[in-house]
Amino acid sequence: MAPPPQSDEIVLACRDVELAFGGLRALKGLGFDIARGEIFGLVGPNGSGKTSMVNVVTGFYRAQSGTVHLFGEDVTRLKPHRIAGRGVARTFQNLALFRGMTVLDNILLGRHVHMRAGALPSLFYWVWALRHEVAHRRAVEELIDFMQLQDIRDEPVEVIPLGLQKRVELARALAADPRLLILDEPMAGMNQEEKEYIARFILDAREERNTTVLLIEHHMDVVTSICDRVMVLSYGESIAQGRPAEAIADPRVVKAYLGERAAARHKGVAA
Amino acid sequence: MDLWLIGELALTGALVGLMYALVAVGIVLVYKTSGVANFAQGAIAMSGGYATWAIAAFLGLPMWVAIPLALVAMFGFGMLVEHAVLRHMVGQPVIMIIMVTFGIEIFLRGFMPGTFGVAVKRLDLGIPQAPMFLGEMLINRAYLVGGAVSAALILAAIVLFNSRAGIVMRAVSDDQGASWSVGIRVERAIAVAWGLAGATATAAGILWGSVQGIDWSLSLLLMKALAIAILGGLDSIPGVLLAGLIVGVCESLATGVIDPLVGGGTRDIVASVIIVLTLLVRPYGLFGREHIERV
Repeated sequence: MAPPPQSDEIVLACRDVELAFGGLRALKGLGFDIARGEIFGLVGPNGSGKTSMVNVVTGFYRAQSGTVHLFGEDVTRLKPHRIAGRGVARTFQNLALFRGMTVLDNILLGRHVHMRAGALPSLFYWVWALRHEVAHRRAVEELIDFMQLQDIRDEPVEVIPLGLQKRVELARALAADPRLLILDEPMAGMNQEEKEYIARFILDAREERNTTVLLIEHHMDVVTSICDRVMVLSYGESIAQGRPAEAIADPRVVKAYLGERAAARHKGVAA
Repeated sequence: MDLWLIGELALTGALVGLMYALVAVGIVLVYKTSGVANFAQGAIAMSGGYATWAIAAFLGLPMWVAIPLALVAMFGFGMLVEHAVLRHMVGQPVIMIIMVTFGIEIFLRGFMPGTFGVAVKRLDLGIPQAPMFLGEMLINRAYLVGGAVSAALILAAIVLFNSRAGIVMRAVSDDQGASWSVGIRVERAIAVAWGLAGATATAAGILWGSVQGIDWSLSLLLMKALAIAILGGLDSIPGVLLAGLIVGVCESLATGVIDPLVGGGTRDIVASVIIVLTLLVRPYGLFGREHIERV
């Protein structure tokens, strides 16, 4: 087993991650590295462990064994808010917005990790807290422009359409200025045009903000066009890693997606 | 019935209502952060009264030392309740959580008198007994002080909730997963809400204890507090302020105006009537958030 790399060029290094819910083994000794600046795709059929893996990385689940290193530091046992404090922002498969708040407030909360003003300073040092607030607001306004959310910035998030809600969630994650951005199916339920928008935002986030991205996505066209490398999961195991086009063409991947007989037929067609 | 009497009843009712509202603040604080219905608030207020009395009586400390000590101790007690009980109830059905907080209420109702004796304890804050005259209205000074202190504490809570800390608490109540993901310490925010519930309940327990003495019946404040929290909208502190005034004034007028006609006993049904009417007519209360559902 290779030791976790020490280089700070490796953003995320997972080794032998095991996770079980009772008797169900969700992750069976997974390991992978993500390099700085990469867009790394995590793909696989439903229930293959993609979201579980992300939840282990972000501290929502605790792995039974194995290690997770972030920027060379062991974070395996850290709580979610500590991981967020180390520069990891995420979105959720089923959307997790602050439903009672406006678009602006949601995105502003994304900057929480940068706000050190606790209850006391904000009570007693109005001016001090205010100056910080202004700086945070400026950052958030830039992001609202970047994500083209100007028209709905003061709307309650509950009333805007799903596609825009997903965009707000992405904006909230970006508001943290994350060093590692984890996106769990950011394009689920979107049409072609909306998908292209989100893909553009992800590429721009990398170019302009030097963000490394871990992306869970079902749309293979998106995965092949924006990911640098992918890992394909099936039943909690890694069945292929590498460049998207090669990994997806791997016979084991075809089998996992289509089933054995269909895969054989697929091979026959290809040959 | 002359206007001076109505005025006196209304003013006294408003002051009493503010003192009820101080108990309700803790219910709203906890609901706002964790979505948990806190049915233990009445007994926590009672326990705060007992704690203050015990610190003063057993340690021989003057009131101005005993009160801050009791507030700190009960802040800790609130956090302890969260840590020892509520944290283990995460993800349980609402009915289980109501039962567990109500269980704490019943336990404390028995435990405190059981420990310190059932006789009513006197808590003397040094407020003069003689009533104050406003025109022809007689105002009890204990209510005047109690109402003023309660109003000040509720306003402080409103300020707190409009600060950064309040936004964090709202975030926690909206979505715990999302809160974690942006780096909020969800457990600590909920624990602090319980601590503040314990401290505000204690302030109310002390004020009520100075009026009627300390015994188990202080925990009956739960009924009034629930009525106020529900009428105010469960997650709104300004709502508590207004609802407290409404409940207090209604109760006082009912007692003064209807009691002589029907032979007494209306005071205690006012709160329950308000609970039922609110739930029937406007379930989200005066200021509560009405979730917008898109079908």
